[in-house]
Amino acid sequence: MQLVARTNPVKTLPATGGQVLRDVVGVVAIAALGVAGYFLFPDNLALLTRLIALALLALSLDLVVGYCGIATLGHAVLFGAGAYAAGIACVNGMTEPLTLIAIGAIAGAGAGLVMGTIMLRAHGLAQLVLSIAIVQLFHEAANKASAYTGGSDGLAGLSVGPLFGVFEFDLWGRTAYLLGLVLLVVVFIGLKFIVASPFGMLCRGIKEDPIRIRAMGAFVAPNLLKMFVISGFVAGIGGALAAISTQVVGLDSISFELSANALVMLVLGGIGTLYGAIVGTIIFMGFEHIVSAINPFHWMTMVGVLLIAVVIAAPQGVSGLFDRLWSPAGRGGRS
Amino acid sequence: MRSVAGFGTAERDTSMQTVFSIAIDALAYGMALFIICIGLSLTMGLMRVVNLAHGAFAMIAGYIASYAVRDLGIGYVVAILLAIAGTVAISIPLERLLYRRIYGSPQLTQVLMTIGITFCVIGITNYFFGPTLKTIPLPAALSQPVDLGFRSVAAHRLFVMACGAVVALGLWFFIEKTAFGIRLRATVDNASISEALGIRTQAVYTISFAIAMGLAAFGGVVGAEFLPIEPYYALRYMVTFLVVVSVGGAGSIPGALIACLVLGAVDTTGRYLMPEFGNFFFYAAVIAIVWVFPRGLLGKAQ
Amino acid sequence: MVGRKLLGAALGALLLGTVSASADTIKIGIIGPFSGPFALQGKNFQAGVEAFMALNGKSVKGHDVEIIYRDLPAANPAQSRALAQELVVKDKVQYLGGVYFTPDAMAITPLLKQANTPLVIFNAATSAIMNTSPLVVRTSFTTAQTTTPLGKVAFDRGIKKVISVVSDYGPGVDAEVAFKKAFEAAGGQVVEAVRMPLNTNDFSPIMQRIRDSKADAVFAFLPSGPTTLGFVKAYNDTGVRQAGVKFLAPGDLTQESDLPALGDGAVGLLTSFHYAVSHDSPENKTFVEAAAKAIGSPEQLSFPSVGAYDGMHVIYKMIEATDGKQDAEKAVNAVKGLTWTSPRGPVGIDPETRHLTQNIYLREVAKDAAGKSYNKEIQTFANQKDPGLAAP
Repeated sequence: MQLVARTNPVKTLPATGGQVLRDVVGVVAIAALGVAGYFLFPDNLALLTRLIALALLALSLDLVVGYCGIATLGHAVLFGAGAYAAGIACVNGMTEPLTLIAIGAIAGAGAGLVMGTIMLRAHGLAQLVLSIAIVQLFHEAANKASAYTGGSDGLAGLSVGPLFGVFEFDLWGRTAYLLGLVLLVVVFIGLKFIVASPFGMLCRGIKEDPIRIRAMGAFVAPNLLKMFVISGFVAGIGGALAAISTQVVGLDSISFELSANALVMLVLGGIGTLYGAIVGTIIFMGFEHIVSAINPFHWMTMVGVLLIAVVIAAPQGVSGLFDRLWSPAGRGGRS
Repeated sequence: MRSVAGFGTAERDTSMQTVFSIAIDALAYGMALFIICIGLSLTMGLMRVVNLAHGAFAMIAGYIASYAVRDLGIGYVVAILLAIAGTVAISIPLERLLYRRIYGSPQLTQVLMTIGITFCVIGITNYFFGPTLKTIPLPAALSQPVDLGFRSVAAHRLFVMACGAVVALGLWFFIEKTAFGIRLRATVDNASISEALGIRTQAVYTISFAIAMGLAAFGGVVGAEFLPIEPYYALRYMVTFLVVVSVGGAGSIPGALIACLVLGAVDTTGRYLMPEFGNFFFYAAVIAIVWVFPRGLLGKAQ
Repeated sequence: MVGRKLLGAALGALLLGTVSASADTIKIGIIGPFSGPFALQGKNFQAGVEAFMALNGKSVKGHDVEIIYRDLPAANPAQSRALAQELVVKDKVQYLGGVYFTPDAMAITPLLKQANTPLVIFNAATSAIMNTSPLVVRTSFTTAQTTTPLGKVAFDRGIKKVISVVSDYGPGVDAEVAFKKAFEAAGGQVVEAVRMPLNTNDFSPIMQRIRDSKADAVFAFLPSGPTTLGFVKAYNDTGVRQAGVKFLAPGDLTQESDLPALGDGAVGLLTSFHYAVSHDSPENKTFVEAAAKAIGSPEQLSFPSVGAYDGMHVIYKMIEATDGKQDAEKAVNAVKGLTWTSPRGPVGIDPETRHLTQNIYLREVAKDAAGKSYNKEIQTFANQKDPGLAAP
């Protein structure tokens, strides 16, 4: 069973003038949106930081789902690995924030290597189930290792030092937010280069038709594994950012629920574009935030209605809808 | 302490009794899982819809049955039938309005839609019925313990095992031996050719969906002793259902049956021998099975 | 750029939340699980708060009190911190209250000093939270506090050997440790300590373990809701009860809202806890009446409501002491040593730990004249502090 259908044909070749211009505009727009968020909602920076951390997770998920066609409901393993690695390092005296981010990224990449190795064995539904089993095992392991992780009570007591020795992580969360925003933009640019590189195109090719790629003489599994590791790197950054800004790491950061949420956000935004990951995260988190503030008791129904409405109105995800609005002529025969 | 390979007769007897006892528990639990999951296996394997809202329908049935038995004083068996009928009645308009749009869609889109439906059902149930547990009182005949000689077992567990066997045989007969089963399999294999041959594929889909939902409803009610009915039911057990169906191979009745029995046995034995690592056993078994059978135990290559 | 404009507009719309209130309104932010699997407990928070305000008025010394509820469906420290920060910075709340799960509390406490805001915990029951900030006060209980008396009682009732069976997570482990310590200090023996996964659905293999252990009684701790129901069912169905194995547990297991579902199977279970809805006192009668009205259906009433009720009592005292000015330290100092009669009995805030000193009751599930199950208080252990804090 093909879980990620081949609905997004490779639209344009990379590095054409139009595409590059579009990406520059896109990156500037993300940065501008982020800066605007800083000034427009100075009182909600903790929420926005959490949004950025989850956007990193969704981006990371897009790499494997959207570009490699690997369906996973266990991506929080990579996020949680980053969060716990940064958290444990911090509790043990390593308090420099950028180092913690790096530790998180490496731990995430390591987890990506492990997870990719196991998951690439299977296909379709079985692969999805493997991912669920792996995330449950990691979750259980984190619960068991409470001496290191704090178990279900959470790993508390992270006191992160000031960024560059100057900027404190304080109540208002300005430092955390700006750090997150810079990380997001840098990661986004990096990923745009990666997915447009020959390696990125190869992965897309594998997603479309693995047999043909193999016949062309390219290796399938090693390339997918490489993408998995990159994905883990990105998710690990997200996890470390969450750990630094929250100063507590909970078991939720390595749970099936988080994985499923990330997938919902990604599909909501649209897979295989990187933009979709960010758009989906903003819409899902934003919507959840408003409706749960309006009615903390029964907001879940509204989120359900949103998901159903999106499937009916924009089966390609919201960013697909934007694409159609952007160029009504359509691109690459999108129906 | 548990006895390990004793030589004395008495000791061997106790350990044999323990083994039997665990086996019966495992069988009951596995069968309960099977009844709830088989409908999902049908939707996923035959209709190619990843219906994550499966548990939501089982839950709806549980609420109907609970209401019928507790508040209306209706008998257990009638309540089961009522719950099935009610759930199917609710599911048919949903099939028309929502599910029909996602037949043939990418599975991730189906996931999005069905999670949305699940959220809605949870929210609405919570609103109307409140967040407390709802029980479905058993009739006296099913709530007594039955003495099996070496231990007593709740009659309800034997009932669940029997139900599981009946469902498995009935479905197998229905799909393999009846005219509708032939149409269903034809539609699954190639909808457009089936249509050309005069099979009303829309109707086939609607009926199959109704059957799957009826099975979910049946499972939700008779399995409620294992998985109690509360609003979060639909999400709480979603993973278990999905895992069991996929391990068995979506669409395969014997596959689902074996998967339920094997995973039920692993779960039960693991929880007896080393409860601290109960989840490890279960998911390690899942990984091992999928590693050896990448398409599920009896999944068809596609 | 249509898309991004739309997006900007959406983002703008979503974050421009509540309008700033008049100067003389004191806002209290309450964080709790109002939806999701623990919605029942969140609902009880709300019932406790509303009951208190219905009985004591919506203003203190002329300062109007406004409650802002924020939903945190499951333990999620990142979301908890974001909610607390928003409540403090944007909604300008002067007090934070609620919090059901320990990690969520842990995520909030580092903010309190800078926010100049006290946190009154209505539930989160891990001892260690109190050490993380001097601005935390707790009106609930700790698992060690409610469990410890049970150890001695069990031994006094002739139970010599116990098997401990708990869910494998923080509170479960706390309960196991506290019970073992108290029971062995009294002279008993915990023959086996089993920790089972949180998501266990079928408890019959665990019951087999209990039978095999030949213990006189089982000490159990599981999260309330479906798992407790399954466990108690299995205890009855598999003949463990018939074999004479007694059932001991902290009162979380027989919380009143679960009793109708547990049915006859729960009758006779021995639990120790700080509050029973059936507690016989005029204060409790008034409280239950008001809280039942607030929650809609009385059978949903359970222990978090009393934690919230007393939490509001503490917050009102804080508002009184500071005369509506935001001064977290003064507010917390004002309630240190405070004593009052709560619906659960006489209580007081320990000035050292800022945790509630209260009576713990031994209860037995019984049926009243109308055939309804309730927790019947049969013994009182007066003025219990939190033993978990004394010896970490």
